[in-house]
Amino acid sequence: MSANQRARLTAASRFSISLKTREILAAYTFLAPFMVFFMIFVVRAVVEAVRMSFYDWHILRPSRPYIGIENYIELINDNVWWIALQNTIVFTALTVVGTTIVALAAAVAVTRPIRGQNFFRVLLYTPSLLSVGAVGLIWVWLLNTQFGIVNYGLSFIGARPVNWLGDPGLVIPSLSLTSIWWGFGFPMLIFIAGLQGIPEQLYEAARIDGGSSTDLFWHITLPLLRPTILFVTVTGVISHFQVYGQPFIMTNGGPGRSSYSLIFYLYQIAWTAFRMGYGAAVAVCIAVIMAALTSVQFLVLSRRIEY
Amino acid sequence: MVKRLSLMFTLALLVTMMLVMSIPTSIVAQDAEPEPTPIVGAFGGGETKISYWNGLTGSDGVTMNEMLAQFAMENPEFEVTSEIIPWNTLYAKLQAAFVANQPPDLVLMHASEVPQFASFGVVMDLGPWYTSGGGWFDETDISEITYAGMKYQGVTYGLPLDNHGRGLWINTDMFDAAGIDTDPSTAPDNYEDWVSLLQALTLDVNGNNAADPDFDSENVVQWGYVVGEWPRVNFLSALAQHGGELVSADEQITVNSDAGIAALQQAVDLVYEYNVSPPPAGFDTWQGFASGSVAVIPTGTWFRNFAVDQTDINGMAWPQVQFGEQPGTWFGIHTFLLPASSTPEKAAAVETLLKWISANQVTWAGSGQVPALLSAQAALDPVNYPSNILLGQTFSDYGVLDYQSTAVQEMYAALDPELDAALNNLSSVEDALNDAAERMQQVLDRAM
Repeated sequence: MSANQRARLTAASRFSISLKTREILAAYTFLAPFMVFFMIFVVRAVVEAVRMSFYDWHILRPSRPYIGIENYIELINDNVWWIALQNTIVFTALTVVGTTIVALAAAVAVTRPIRGQNFFRVLLYTPSLLSVGAVGLIWVWLLNTQFGIVNYGLSFIGARPVNWLGDPGLVIPSLSLTSIWWGFGFPMLIFIAGLQGIPEQLYEAARIDGGSSTDLFWHITLPLLRPTILFVTVTGVISHFQVYGQPFIMTNGGPGRSSYSLIFYLYQIAWTAFRMGYGAAVAVCIAVIMAALTSVQFLVLSRRIEY
Repeated sequence: MVKRLSLMFTLALLVTMMLVMSIPTSIVAQDAEPEPTPIVGAFGGGETKISYWNGLTGSDGVTMNEMLAQFAMENPEFEVTSEIIPWNTLYAKLQAAFVANQPPDLVLMHASEVPQFASFGVVMDLGPWYTSGGGWFDETDISEITYAGMKYQGVTYGLPLDNHGRGLWINTDMFDAAGIDTDPSTAPDNYEDWVSLLQALTLDVNGNNAADPDFDSENVVQWGYVVGEWPRVNFLSALAQHGGELVSADEQITVNSDAGIAALQQAVDLVYEYNVSPPPAGFDTWQGFASGSVAVIPTGTWFRNFAVDQTDINGMAWPQVQFGEQPGTWFGIHTFLLPASSTPEKAAAVETLLKWISANQVTWAGSGQVPALLSAQAALDPVNYPSNILLGQTFSDYGVLDYQSTAVQEMYAALDPELDAALNNLSSVEDALNDAAERMQQVLDRAM
């Protein structure tokens, strides 16, 4: 091997190392625009919120004294926080379970080869396109005790008018029902994608072995949808734990505080009382709770699926 | 083939939906009556621009916009952009606007909020606009209580537009059917007589009234009263009637005083003892009145145009109910404020607009509200403005101005759910008011 060849090989090996580095650099270059915005608008905001939670921070007041963990101590002793937390957990549980079941049922239904399949998919997805304002107002009227069409329908079977949004025992389920109707469209699409990813030969083999449709669903579809269910429930918990628009528009947190949610209370603290420091403490605690819930979900549902 | 047809149908559906959504509202609502108040309206096209925020989401917003249009027509050098924002959101947006140093040139708010914004130093001292400061607005032409409501720590920050407050609206046909005189001067002056009147107006499906032993409280078709119509101001009125107050002279919350408990208990009893009112939750009071299922609605000056334009009910205003030993009715003041950061040119432009509005306060009475200027009140025609005159007189005689504090919003945020809980029978009156007092005291202590 001549000296020239050796030099070329050395240069080539140097080039291969620098190529790897260049690839990494290229990757980060492509990520950079997102990372810049992410750092400015998310990370910085999160850090700032955590910092604010240690101050008596009023939005327009010039003095913002450092008060240590006083906001957190106040939070622990704040009975409205605990009411709102309880309401939010109940709402989230009902809505996530309801949405998952309805979305899965809808996905299974519209995955079958039926006439007008796309039409039904669009139809079922349509409520997701509405704003929370429109959804809230529609359902306030549907569930109205005096003039609502739901109570009107129930009157034909002799039922007395139900105070859907005024009964403390019914208000959270009613808000949950509204949210399920509004929100099941997107999880349905995810489930459709998940269903299409299950190999058809598994169903064929099961049918040959005499499995019924129910057997196929319980023993093939549902287990193999576990990653999809994980995704739907995790995103559902994150989304519904932050419920705000429905109680704000439909009940204003009432009756009493029966439909106060955490974000509804957070809004009151931050934008009615203008106590940004205490509001930041509430926000930090909500984020910690959501992170904990998500971790539990991952632990329970993230068993690896091989097929 | 079927798949392609489905796809085409879906696309057609989506295109149709998009087209429907893109049709201008004005075309869709061409024949609709009444038209909604435009949320953002631009009036005039002059060089001098004024941005103006207010919370007049009801029919009073229509009147305000009509006045602005008239102003712009008479003063072509101006362009006024009016943005109507629900009150709670308005206060939140204002805070953000002040932080961003982009406040509107003019804002209308309630006098109760003046201390909060004045304490931040973000609103302008309007003292020089008053005659005592060498200006044009005659403070002797407004009531003393109204003038006091414009101030915070001795500085005058507001310019009053009106007095708006509590009063009743009655369905005169129901009164006639029950054989009750509709003359407001015959209104009862004690709780027992009010209960008797409201019982006579509450009917079950069989036509029995609430005083009848056979009355079926589970099947009421006509309610005498509705306690759920803005319970806080009803409570504040009743509290004053019983000689109580929201905050004592030594800065203690006293909603849970004997007066407060009596005031709230009476309201609760109207629902659960005398069956003359539905529980608040789930009952739409305005629609209840409009649909002819409510005889007496405790509302306010702002109800006039709704009652006239949006219902077929034969109705009229009555003074606020008197459940305590003395009359008392809550009222507030719509107040103009300018940001402290206004330039002299901008402030002068806004001053021109406010001079015009003040000179035309009689026109503002068309909104149902009572003009702040005493001269404008005196000029009201009794035929066209009976409710303004009647209720305005009650504000002058025994009105209770909305509490003013640097933390009034937060205090009310603590009070409202407790009142709602008591009225919906989720909490006892004592517990509700004790809880409210505790939280409100924390707020007040923090604000001081």
